[in-house]
Amino acid sequence: MRILTITWEYPPHIVGGLGRHVHNLSIHLASKGADVTVLSFTDGTSERHERADGVEIVRVNPYVMRYPDFVSWIEGLNMLMVERAADLGSFDLIHVHDWLTAYSGIALKHMWRRPLVATIHATELGRRKVLSNDSERHIHEMEWWLAYEAWKVICCSKYMMNEVHSSLGCPIDKISVIHNGYDPKLARANSAGMSKKDSRTVLFVGRLVYEKGPHLLVEAASLLKDCRVIIVGDGAMRPYLEGLAKKLGVSDRVTFTGHVDDETLLSIYEEASVLVIPSLYEPFGIVVLEAMSLGIPVIVSNTGGLDEIITDGRDGLKFQSGSPEELAKAIARILDDEGLRARLVENAKSRAKEFSWKTTADQTLKLYKKVLEEYNANDWKPKASARW
Amino acid sequence: MRDKERLHLARVMKMRAVMHISWEYPPWVVGGLSQELKSLLPEIAKRVRTMLVVRGDTDGVTEEEGVRIFKSASSIRSSPHILAYIHALNIDLLRGASAAIHEEGSVPLVHTHDWVSGIAGVYIKACFGAPLVTSVYTTELTRSKALGSLLSMGIFDIERHCFNRSDLVVVKSPEMKEHLKENFGLDGGKIALARNADELMEAYRGIQG
Repeated sequence: MRILTITWEYPPHIVGGLGRHVHNLSIHLASKGADVTVLSFTDGTSERHERADGVEIVRVNPYVMRYPDFVSWIEGLNMLMVERAADLGSFDLIHVHDWLTAYSGIALKHMWRRPLVATIHATELGRRKVLSNDSERHIHEMEWWLAYEAWKVICCSKYMMNEVHSSLGCPIDKISVIHNGYDPKLARANSAGMSKKDSRTVLFVGRLVYEKGPHLLVEAASLLKDCRVIIVGDGAMRPYLEGLAKKLGVSDRVTFTGHVDDETLLSIYEEASVLVIPSLYEPFGIVVLEAMSLGIPVIVSNTGGLDEIITDGRDGLKFQSGSPEELAKAIARILDDEGLRARLVENAKSRAKEFSWKTTADQTLKLYKKVLEEYNANDWKPKASARW
Repeated sequence: MRDKERLHLARVMKMRAVMHISWEYPPWVVGGLSQELKSLLPEIAKRVRTMLVVRGDTDGVTEEEGVRIFKSASSIRSSPHILAYIHALNIDLLRGASAAIHEEGSVPLVHTHDWVSGIAGVYIKACFGAPLVTSVYTTELTRSKALGSLLSMGIFDIERHCFNRSDLVVVKSPEMKEHLKENFGLDGGKIALARNADELMEAYRGIQG
């Protein structure tokens, strides 16, 4: 089975969960015998063509043209991707991720008459809550178009399935829920559990953007006396968050590390008593699985995929999304109760084992086979041949 | 000769039809292009099998004055600016063009009009090896006089990309030919002056030979 995966992020160019998802999925699909070609982006610092972990990687550089904004930058990238795809031979199926590569996926689908599978990781409406300008409306409409054109749509949680159904009008029976996995490299590094019971260190790992809710943790820190907070990650909110910590008088207890590599992250995890994911919008939340597998107790907001992964009081604690007061109570509860921490960690480790990239790849491959069976039984086929 | 070029030439030699792609055709009239094509295409259709892919209110196939018309509706209503809209529109035009090619069962010569339908032509050339002709009536430079904004620069760059990918660029005046040579670095040998159907057919034959 020959698959063309089109994604705007793939290592070494990683922005968020989408890139990690596509990377791990591609590697595991390849290990199961699928012939995977990833068509992605380069800014000139990575190879235009290479093979890594059994995956063929082809990159295009959009900086041969100028663009007035992000939407047209994405469109230019997609245009060059379509031209590049034409030289890559024939494929059984095209798989794109989010609106960011919808343009090229839809174009190639119609020219090649091959089935298109789309993973919708997140939506513009979900991220923004409201579509307030033409760029946001354009992105929302591209998401609608992608869901419409795709043979099947994959979502990483039931929450996202409902969102794609309700906000993009995608029929529910066209959507498959396939959960994300997590990186076992981090889990293998520690088999005994690394939560420091007495460090009273609260950890946040994620992009510093509003939807991830880092400000809620800074506000919660100001409601607690004896804990310190480490915020790992970077983003547009960082200057605001540093100012907020100062304003609330907790800047001596809140540390911003910026983006760190995996090794440094692991040593930071070793210091943590608890990991907090205070997201206001979280389609899945891969980081929660990493922490659970490492034996670190977790506190999550009761939203999105997090709400499905965690059962409150069994494998983690949940708090009312958006409430720093409730978050502070949950942090105090977990820091002050050693028995609770031990119980949560034990249950979380076994819960985390239910998720893996291998399972994600197995389920995705099964879906590909189903799509191709339907395609083969269908009349919609190319009548004129492409160059290959 | 590279394999790619040999294959491309072989396709040109087998060409039996021409497919025009435009963002307007009566009753959809935006500017002069619509009327221009309404005069030209029925004349072309008397000489070679002619298809037109054009933006419509709905998807559909009709035939008028010997021209088989594939209408393609816009899937996107909101865009922050014309460049973003044109990229999306060209994927819709490509839907119509792909339907036409698969109905035809072979790849025609593709003729686009200005950058607003040029991107679809670039896609078809890349994927099917279709010979590509682009008519240029105006450019961002002639419209705006100067590239005074990033949007203008972005449009100019797309124009240049489409012109460079074309096997033949068609103009209606010697002044436009000079403009393209001077500002886009196009080789004069790939620019044809064609003011009517006979001259255009002659220009088509130029690529084929």
